Amino acid sequence: MKRICAVLAVPAVLLLAGCGIQPSGVTGGGQAPAGVAPGVTLYFIDAHSRLQPQFRQTGRLGSISEALALLLTGPGYSGLRTGIAPTTVTRVGVATTPGVTEIHVPFTANEMTSLGIDQIVCTALGVHVQSGGSRSMKVRIIFTQSTPESNKLRTCPLIR
Amino acid sequence: MTWRPWPRGLRARLVVAVVLVTVLGATAAAWASARSARSALVDSARQRLAQTVAGQIGAIAPELTYPPDQGTLDRLRAAVGPNTLVTYRNLRSADDTGTEPVTGALRSAVRARHLIATQVVTAGGRPFLLVGTPIVITAPDGARTSSGIEVYTGRDLTDVEGRVDDLTRSAAYTAALALPLAVLLALLAARSVLRPVRELRDTARRLAAGDLGARSPPQGADELADLAVTVNEMAESLQRMQADARRFAADVSHELRTPLSTLMAVVDVLATAAAGMDSDARESSQLAIAETHRLVALVEDLMEVSRFDAGTARLRLEDVDVAGAVRGCLRARGWLDRVELVAPDGVVLRLDPRRLDVIVANLVGNALSHGEPPVRVQVSVSRDQVRIEVADSGPGLPQDVLPHVFDRFYKADTARPRTPGSGLGLAIALENARLHGGDLTAGNIAGGGARFTLRLPRNQEDG
Repeated sequence: MKRICAVLAVPAVLLLAGCGIQPSGVTGGGQAPAGVAPGVTLYFIDAHSRLQPQFRQTGRLGSISEALALLLTGPGYSGLRTGIAPTTVTRVGVATTPGVTEIHVPFTANEMTSLGIDQIVCTALGVHVQSGGSRSMKVRIIFTQSTPESNKLRTCPLIR
Repeated sequence: MTWRPWPRGLRARLVVAVVLVTVLGATAAAWASARSARSALVDSARQRLAQTVAGQIGAIAPELTYPPDQGTLDRLRAAVGPNTLVTYRNLRSADDTGTEPVTGALRSAVRARHLIATQVVTAGGRPFLLVGTPIVITAPDGARTSSGIEVYTGRDLTDVEGRVDDLTRSAAYTAALALPLAVLLALLAARSVLRPVRELRDTARRLAAGDLGARSPPQGADELADLAVTVNEMAESLQRMQADARRFAADVSHELRTPLSTLMAVVDVLATAAAGMDSDARESSQLAIAETHRLVALVEDLMEVSRFDAGTARLRLEDVDVAGAVRGCLRARGWLDRVELVAPDGVVLRLDPRRLDVIVANLVGNALSHGEPPVRVQVSVSRDQVRIEVADSGPGLPQDVLPHVFDRFYKADTARPRTPGSGLGLAIALENARLHGGDLTAGNIAGGGARFTLRLPRNQEDG
């Protein structure tokens, strides 16, 4: 009988030894988070009518709407110009869904050049990418008047 | 109780083997499943927690000033949660709990790869998942560089461990459930094997005890049934050989009778003529006469034994006064003055007087020739049997001879091959006793001397 007990005790001990969570080695856990930056990059138009990034030392990256508000206030005295009509309303609404960021701008489609639209798209996409987001995200700009332009999914020519 | 290395009984061995196999198998299965379930649970917890931490950091990171100051690090630490350490170059923001949620291996992994790293550790008897991650700066074109900010946080895995323990426990219970089932199955299997084995054993015992008609019916078509068939064949063969031997003995003794009758007639003539012979011739003829008488006695004994073997021996029952019969037997052989007879009168038994005479004459004759005087014959009566004891005062029967005294032609003293008597006397006496439903046993008296005891049952109407 003693022998039987001893034999039965072996699997029991094995079972107990398998209990609980054992310490492990270091394992990889995926992409590190991003989003810190000394400032934000805005996109303006240079003398050759090309999109040109402009770095603004804001101390932090901030959100897409903050960056767009800065963009709407204009390029300042930097030799660059903007394709967006001057406005006192710099607040833009930003709604992010998976794959698409919708931006509500305080303009009609006629008040913006196509370069101006690119400025908004690139600035928004730049902040999104710097926050750790995907570069394949599309941007939809929704104007104040209903127009087919509002339904277009846009990408930035500089950020591919 | 002595310690036995392994249970000897077939049943115990079967049970132990089946239980061992079952328990080992069930335990191995339970252990393997609990193990894989545990690693799946821990892995999912690890990924979930790492994602949560990355999400928490990613949510607040765009609001953090860069390069960070102490206040920024504190905000980040608060956002990630308790038990967190945030470092940036020489700056550090830590809980005041004292233990840092970081190991050297984790720190070097975080610095080397710019990826989230995790490690399970045990602290204070509780399992913790350490999550360490750098925060990277992503350029608008997607290029990633290190920001120098590192976040380390420890998350308690006690609830995960609880679920792992539950899994393990239920696996162990499942394994334990198999145990009684295994015992039951083993007992059933043992029974199906042991029943035929027991029957075979009983048959073999009956064969060994002399019952050659014993058979065990084979059941099924397995090896045990084969064995039963073989045992039956063996018994049949034994029975046939024994019958052959007995028939041969019977035939031989029968065939010898006719020439012996003739020889006896011749010897009788020789005996009457012996008086006129000279001494040498007389001695020879007397030897021939004696040996012929012995031969006749031997053949008669053989025929008697054959009748017992063939089952044709019949009792001729009469009401017999036991004391008178014994005394008559002794008187007829002229032994009355050499034997001390103690017999109560008036004991009447229904038996075959010729066979009683054969038994008593044989026992007393043996006592007189092999033992020492005085020889005592004692008849005693109890409620259900009559005992006739024949005892001598010699050295008694040796222990190695005792079991064989009733064997046919058994010679106790091999150095003396020519003993008077046929060598069948005691065997015939025993058969006669049994024919009466009684028994004959041999033993020794405490003070020395052999004692044969004949027990005869008393008549039914007396009992």
